[in-house]
Amino acid sequence: MRELLSARRVALLGGVYSNHLALEAALADARARGAEAIFCLGDLGGFGPHPDRVFPLLRDAGVTSVQGNYDLSVAQGAVDCACGYTDPRDTHFARLSYEYTVRNTSTENRRWLRALPPTLKVALGDTRLLLCHGSPRRINEFLWETTTPNGLLERFCRETESDLLCFTHTGIKWHRALPSGRHALNVGALGRPENDGAPRVWYTLLTADHELSVEFVPVSYDHETLAREMTREGLPDEFVETIRSGWWTCCLESMPVKERSRGRY
Amino acid sequence: MLGLSVRAPRDIAASSSAPRVEFRELEQVWFQITGTLCNLACRHCFNSSGPHEPWLAGLDVETVRRHIREAETLGAREFYFTGGEPFLHPEILALLADALAVAPTTVLTNGTLIDDPTADRLTQLAAAALYSLEIRVSLDAPTAAENDAIRGRGSFAKALAAVRRLVARDLYPIVTATEIAAPPGSPSLYERLHAMLRAAGVARPRIKILPVLPTGRCESRGDGRRLTAGDLEGFDPARLQCTRTRVVAAGGVYACPILAGLPGARLAGEGLAAALGPTALAHPACSTCYETGIACGNS
Ligand SMILES: [Fe+2]
Repeated sequence: MRELLSARRVALLGGVYSNHLALEAALADARARGAEAIFCLGDLGGFGPHPDRVFPLLRDAGVTSVQGNYDLSVAQGAVDCACGYTDPRDTHFARLSYEYTVRNTSTENRRWLRALPPTLKVALGDTRLLLCHGSPRRINEFLWETTTPNGLLERFCRETESDLLCFTHTGIKWHRALPSGRHALNVGALGRPENDGAPRVWYTLLTADHELSVEFVPVSYDHETLAREMTREGLPDEFVETIRSGWWTCCLESMPVKERSRGRY
Repeated sequence: MLGLSVRAPRDIAASSSAPRVEFRELEQVWFQITGTLCNLACRHCFNSSGPHEPWLAGLDVETVRRHIREAETLGAREFYFTGGEPFLHPEILALLADALAVAPTTVLTNGTLIDDPTADRLTQLAAAALYSLEIRVSLDAPTAAENDAIRGRGSFAKALAAVRRLVARDLYPIVTATEIAAPPGSPSLYERLHAMLRAAGVARPRIKILPVLPTGRCESRGDGRRLTAGDLEGFDPARLQCTRTRVVAAGGVYACPILAGLPGARLAGEGLAAALGPTALAHPACSTCYETGIACGNS
């Protein structure tokens, strides 16, 4: 049984990646636009500075979260973030940011991460939603727009009895209506710009009127302050450059060719 | 390349002691599109492909199309075209288009047949598709001397030319290498390939390294060890690609790209649905998969 949301409009946040400034801006924006419930699809830490700062923001705003691969790794004290990189440069940067995040996440917050559910099923009006991090079957499966076929998405919808699948993990948003009339939605990431040369980030609003509408909302925030905090914390210059420029500089290995050709690196 | 075997690799032993792993779900569907017909005859080829008397035949267009349709209904995630050399198949471009209409598709090639007109056709195919077309070009070393000693005279220059043609068209191929020619103690093969590609004007090199497999022409490099039930204790079988991959090749559907075409690895004569049962880890190459966690797929 799904929990039927009383809300008419909900906000969906993708990976936060310790970007507490973007999170604060997005929460205020979502409230101003009338979002009555807010969900986060996981990956609270990684990449950015001061991982403990996102937790009180999420709790104070009543955000309901599912668990991301980063959250699971940090909670368990696993050896890495389970992003699955093999490129030596990607592995190097991923390890730096993972170790920083583990070192700076409190025991209490790690316990909180461990308790997050891997998926959530809710209903918004007549639409049955499935919220997950990577895919319904795997917490770290990348569902990019150009490598996720309709046949697979239809199967996920059937198996989870859902009309709208919502996920994140890749960091780039997309939305597709499937031949059956169901929908797949990658809500993008809140913590990191999406490799398009602009420093702003995105979240997603769902509104249940006659039909369900999906709206991607840009969020401008004080990215310069975040960049300076990252530098002060000793995080890699390559990550700081992404926050300032909007272009991804590493961890591009898993990106499919079409998405890759739209970026700078 | 006289003197290189084109015989079938050693088959799976019909051994009752081989451990079996349950199939999980169908993610990758591979097509052994040209069988073992190849214009090169590399010294380490794991399925002993070559230009003369291939031991495994290719696939006809209708067989491929039938399995593409079936894979779609089963919710498979992606397609791979391999051989042999896929660009020797007369209908390869049409079949890539059919596959791309259903799911993201990767073609594994030695690159030597990708001339400008072929690169242009691939560009059109890729642009017309919603899904990504990935092209994997095999090279085994960052210099012509090292590479050509393995892959044949002139193969380095032709493959690198193909990489540059594809890059110029934003198709960013994945250069795929084995460590067959990597001198011990040198900088990593990855770093050397990366530097070579950058120097050749490839702005964003994509590289995948695979282990050498002890089968086909490299059978003698293995120790012949076979897995036992004890090896699977405490082991996550999801690491093995035969739990989520099936290969369509002449004669039926097989457990993995490495063993495609071997009668002992055949799971069904026709149709993917009939081939989703457990697989026996009975070949020496299974221990390479077990030890290295090799993924023939892109990730
Ligand atoms: Fe993730």
